[in-house]
Amino acid sequence: MDIGGYTGKILRVDLSKDETSIMELDRSTIEKWIGGVGFGARLLYEEVPAGIEWSDPDNRIIWTSGPLAGSGVYGAGTFNVTSKGSLTNLAGCSQANGYFGAYMKFSGFDGIVFQGRASDLVYLWIKEGKAEIRNASRLAGKDVWEMEDALREELGVKEKDVSIYGIGPAGENGVRYSAIVGDRGHLAAHNGLGAVMGSKNLKAVVACRGEKTFEVKDPARLKEKNKALFEHAKGFGPVYEWGSGGGLSALYGIGCLPVRNYTTNIFPEHEQMNGQYMRTHFEIRSKPCYMCRIAHVKEVTVTEGPYRGFVGEEPEYEQLAAWGPMIGNTDLGAVVMLSREVDRLGMDCNEASWTIGWVMECYEKNVFTKRDLDGLDMRWGNVEAVKAMLNKIAKREGVGNLFAEGVMRASRKTGGVAVDWAVYTQKGCSPRSHDHRGGRWAELLDTCVTNTSTLESTWAGIHPQLVDLPAVHDPFSHEEVSTINAKFNGIRQFDDCLGTCRFASTDPKLQLECLNAVTGWKLTLEDAFTIGRRVINQLRVFNFRHGMKKEDERPSTRYGSVPVDGPAEGKNIMEKWDWMIENYYTLMGWDPKTGKPLPKTLEELGLGELVKDV
Amino acid sequence: MNRITIEIWLWIGKELGDDFASPSEMRSIREESVAEGTTIKQLLDDLAGRYPPIARSVLDTKTKRLLPNIVVNYNDRVISPHIVHDQVLKDGDKITVLPIYVGG
Ligand code: SF4
Repeated sequence: MDIGGYTGKILRVDLSKDETSIMELDRSTIEKWIGGVGFGARLLYEEVPAGIEWSDPDNRIIWTSGPLAGSGVYGAGTFNVTSKGSLTNLAGCSQANGYFGAYMKFSGFDGIVFQGRASDLVYLWIKEGKAEIRNASRLAGKDVWEMEDALREELGVKEKDVSIYGIGPAGENGVRYSAIVGDRGHLAAHNGLGAVMGSKNLKAVVACRGEKTFEVKDPARLKEKNKALFEHAKGFGPVYEWGSGGGLSALYGIGCLPVRNYTTNIFPEHEQMNGQYMRTHFEIRSKPCYMCRIAHVKEVTVTEGPYRGFVGEEPEYEQLAAWGPMIGNTDLGAVVMLSREVDRLGMDCNEASWTIGWVMECYEKNVFTKRDLDGLDMRWGNVEAVKAMLNKIAKREGVGNLFAEGVMRASRKTGGVAVDWAVYTQKGCSPRSHDHRGGRWAELLDTCVTNTSTLESTWAGIHPQLVDLPAVHDPFSHEEVSTINAKFNGIRQFDDCLGTCRFASTDPKLQLECLNAVTGWKLTLEDAFTIGRRVINQLRVFNFRHGMKKEDERPSTRYGSVPVDGPAEGKNIMEKWDWMIENYYTLMGWDPKTGKPLPKTLEELGLGELVKDV
Repeated sequence: MNRITIEIWLWIGKELGDDFASPSEMRSIREESVAEGTTIKQLLDDLAGRYPPIARSVLDTKTKRLLPNIVVNYNDRVISPHIVHDQVLKDGDKITVLPIYVGG
């Protein structure tokens, strides 16, 4: 391959036939789709026609890295997973950091496409251009930590010799929000991609470290730009010093912390639950991803409270919010314990906590009795009952079978007033663990109109000034939020093509310079936006072809409700929702009434062949 | 004169020194006396003139605009930048300055 950063090969794994083959990547495919979510979006569209459901053997699950993974850019071990996901039955794209994105390339592949269903539980092993489908029946029912231990022991390798990602009991049992988990605590969490793996009887993928299998075109320039990229990331927000939990209290300050399933926004204990508290009170050890100098991932030992001595990963912001205020818990040690439990079982903490929080509200308001909940006392803050319920969900045992469906389906099945208390989007995808009704309307809109099933345009809010667009000044302006979301949309999907971590690559312009140094290209920011928008429109056409409707691009009643107290009391995003959606669609080049991409938009993005599909 | 409490939630306590109380890593707190008729923006501008970390992190002293991603709470409610511009402070008011988009 004469483009730097690529091995030029995609591995195809047919699990039904128990065979593997190689697809060569051509230059035009690479230049058009770059990698990561770009390759995933295109392959999903080409190989999964309408009528194929998420659990159908003919569904694909596509693991792709990008040109920067393993290139020497700091924190570039990221990979992307694309499939038709189980929460929405539409496209799902989710990224995980760690080592896998780099190791997959060192094993000789830019991506892996899985199809079919194995007759027994299997795992895939890849090394230096070789691939083997191996029996994994002895790993059945193992959590993701046990799975990693068992595979390393069986292969006789040390911790960093391999990168392993796979599913826990939740994925094996088809929990609709099961995740793909690996490298000791990293997740591709959204839209039930773990359930897709489970439906294919695929337990895990093991990538060996190997040697670099691709060229870097301009190493000197890469070194210079990479250093600048690190300096930018270091100074960007509190993540470098305090982890992603460093922003928790600021989020509380603008009404963005989800408290007791959105029933209130008052949580005075926030300063005992944030990243600053954790890093000044708990014992902390660094656990960085592949070549990462931001190194925000840590392991912690709880030093106080009932879980004193418990060792787990430092919870990310989303876990702190999910297992703290969202469920009425004020003990930080319990957050570490529950975060570990959810990861271990192989589930997405966001959807798990929307479900558990809703169950707790239903219990408080007598929609569910203790008997309905298999004897569990699901009052706010009862963390041991939450742990027991999570285990029931992962096994689909008793009432856990209902809650394994996710909060949208569980609430609709329960019926009555409880339907209005559930936090979800009408497509079925989960918001991240915020109260977006506070100062994150940009993310609320993005979560509803996304084509990826998680954030598409925004990232930890929105930072348009990084690409010379005006910053958001009024987070509660329908006009400003919908306009800036549309204008900014594209760069984040481009980023998800590259194989780098967002916390480590905070400046899109420097990241682009690194890409040009690795590949030998001369891409401009405008090119990057065009590529990102191409990916978005490709996914959107896929989604319409698979039954998405405009009416699905709305929040549930509770998700779009008006906060009753706290800093954002009385703010009402739904007041001008229809106007906001039409403005957003228009600026995206989509029909303002139907949301479908206009022929002109598709043609301008080099997707003229898709016009017939809409 | 009106007494106003100003809280800055921007992790800049160490740089602001002893003029501000810092009950936690994030928060810096101070009471200010302002003349009758002072607006929120005038108070922030005055503070930015006296404390360089506030000029760097909160308000552009040339354009008199809040820097990107900064929001202001007035008596614990988020307010729009227009209100920051016009709101006249009353005795006992509380102003909180914080970032909109940080962390997770
Ligand atoms: S910033 Fe954090 S998640 Fe990203 S690569 Fe570094 S350690 Fe991993």
